[in-house]
Amino acid sequence: MHDGTGRIVVQNLTKQFGPVAAVQNLSFTVEPGSVTGFLGPNGAGKTTTLRMLLGLVTPTAGIGLINGRPFSQLGNPARVVGAVLEAQGFHPKRTARNHLRVYAAAIGVPDSRADQVLQLVGLGAAGDRKAGGFSLGMKQRLALATALLGDPQILVLDEPANGLDPEGIAWLRTFLQSYARSGRTVLISSHLLAEVEQTVDQVVIISRGQTMYYGSLDQLRDQQQARVLVQPSDVGALVAALREDGITGIEQVPDGRIAVSGVEAKEVADTALKAGVSIYGLQEEKVDLERLFFQLTNGQYAAPGQSQYAAPVAYQQPQPGYQQFQAPPPGYQQQPQQYQTPPSGYQQPPPGYEQYQQPPQGYQQQPHGYPLAPQPPQDNPYGQPQQDNPHGSPQQPQQDNPYGRQHGQGGLGGGA
Amino acid sequence: MGNLIKAEFRKTTTTGLWWGLMIPTVLLAFGWALGTGAIFKTVSDFMGSSDAEELATLLNVDPSQWQMSVFGIARSINVATIFPMIFGGLAIANEINRKTITTTFLTAPNRVSALGAKMVVYVLWGAIFGVAIVASVSIGIALTSNSGSLPDAGGWLALAGVGILSSILMTMFGVGVGALMTSVVGTTVVLLLYMLIVENGLQLVLSSQGVPEIIGFLPNGAVNGLTGSVASSLFLANAGVVPDEMVEVLRAIAGALGAFDWWLSGLIFLVWTALFFLGGWAATQRKDIT
Repeated sequence: MHDGTGRIVVQNLTKQFGPVAAVQNLSFTVEPGSVTGFLGPNGAGKTTTLRMLLGLVTPTAGIGLINGRPFSQLGNPARVVGAVLEAQGFHPKRTARNHLRVYAAAIGVPDSRADQVLQLVGLGAAGDRKAGGFSLGMKQRLALATALLGDPQILVLDEPANGLDPEGIAWLRTFLQSYARSGRTVLISSHLLAEVEQTVDQVVIISRGQTMYYGSLDQLRDQQQARVLVQPSDVGALVAALREDGITGIEQVPDGRIAVSGVEAKEVADTALKAGVSIYGLQEEKVDLERLFFQLTNGQYAAPGQSQYAAPVAYQQPQPGYQQFQAPPPGYQQQPQQYQTPPSGYQQPPPGYEQYQQPPQGYQQQPHGYPLAPQPPQDNPYGQPQQDNPHGSPQQPQQDNPYGRQHGQGGLGGGA
Repeated sequence: MGNLIKAEFRKTTTTGLWWGLMIPTVLLAFGWALGTGAIFKTVSDFMGSSDAEELATLLNVDPSQWQMSVFGIARSINVATIFPMIFGGLAIANEINRKTITTTFLTAPNRVSALGAKMVVYVLWGAIFGVAIVASVSIGIALTSNSGSLPDAGGWLALAGVGILSSILMTMFGVGVGALMTSVVGTTVVLLLYMLIVENGLQLVLSSQGVPEIIGFLPNGAVNGLTGSVASSLFLANAGVVPDEMVEVLRAIAGALGAFDWWLSGLIFLVWTALFFLGGWAATQRKDIT
């Protein structure tokens, strides 16, 4: 039998639908006592992953474990894990109460449980109505009621907010949080971070069937650093002055400005004044969580050419990168041509820009984020997917490991 | 397992499908029984007339002993079992179509037990439909037949037994085809087209080509043979001397042309049922529920 820990472990899950790799070597762990968001754009493989975990889809490789066991060995699985996978699994002519009684019988709970869960999800008055006449929001509630029949230790929800009105979403949020607070496990998928941002504690972010980020949401939130975009008369002089002040988060952006992170605009202006550098433009920019999420997950269909912008990462590393300010490599002049849209303003940076910029920060944070999980497994669960990436897009080398290869990164940047 | 059987049974009773199909089943069985009873009554009345008496004497047979009604019973049962077959056909096709199969598999320890429970419930439903069919047919036949042409208690029991058996087998045959096709409309159309038109056409061709024996191996031929063979055996056992050339004609009337003995026909149809049922089971067992 299962071990009753309430832990979900996904190990190297892979699913190939014909020529389509829906999920590639995906690994993560979900711990009890928290709400974990399972995030990724549409088509990233979320639903397939959840269905593999629940024994509905046979993985091509890898395994999904619930309480240390595959789904098929849980005994009476609905007592362990309840799942809301789609708001469509109802016979339109069957009443809500009868629907629940069918599955109450299958699970072996008394019929009165059907009425209890109807009340719980706020469908008490609709029990005798046929599910075919339900709105999408009511169907979501009925699906949740079905998942709750066996009073499971673990709840898995696939896009449960679809069709819910704001009131319903607020209700669901409170419900899931209290469910997790009672020591149980909640895994909830969404393609919108904003939708679950206030609900989840931990996040697993996937894209192209691979894990992009795995850790606490707070760590991810900490990365919402402001940065200052400055256009000085003399880039080299300003960079040197900033470095003297101990400011290292300096990057060159493609239009010739430099981006300084971790400082306020007036500090940069003061430094420039001291160094005798004129400032032609100064702008503060805040990267929000949603954009960070977008950066982590976009590129699913991106052209490999964007990897050129990995180069400026070099400026995070003083030693190899610094000299290039004086003599930017030819690549820099050509960069603006790579953009479809002219780099007219950093309120709306072109996609390529965001890509190289943020992920490195995210991945540097990972080692901090990871230990927050109560019991980190011995082997690094998010290491593998990244090693296998065939695309070589900008995020990949940096994900691989945070600190050790930073110098290598710098070297790479210098050469570009 | 008991829980799952209860759940599967509730699934069938909480939608209108069962009585939606039960009504036409009963009406069709009753109607066919009335009709065939009337037809065979006319035939035996004619055989009892003075004109036919000479012929009967010539052939050395005694029409007053002919239990013509057994043919009516066999034919009516055959026709009515179309409905339990459709009922079975929708068992898995409907679940896949309505996506309720997801929850079914999520609330069962494994797929084997979920499908096993479904099998038990549909065997039960096949029997329920079978009892309804046999009862309707018996009443219909009794209303329009001469009492002399009705089978005795033993004969009736034998017919009732194979009637219920063929209803169960037809239901399971439907379940298998439905699980393989996974489409509600496709399953219904294919089952009806095959049983009502395609195989009747095949039977016509086979008998005109002088190889009616093959008919007994076809699904519809085999299931018809189940009731038809019992009917013709009953008839022959009580009819006294019947010329050999008449036997084939009688079997054709019973709907058992080319069919084997009832038990062999039953076995042949069981093989067909098992083939589709196990095929459908295997497909559902391995299916990715997306």
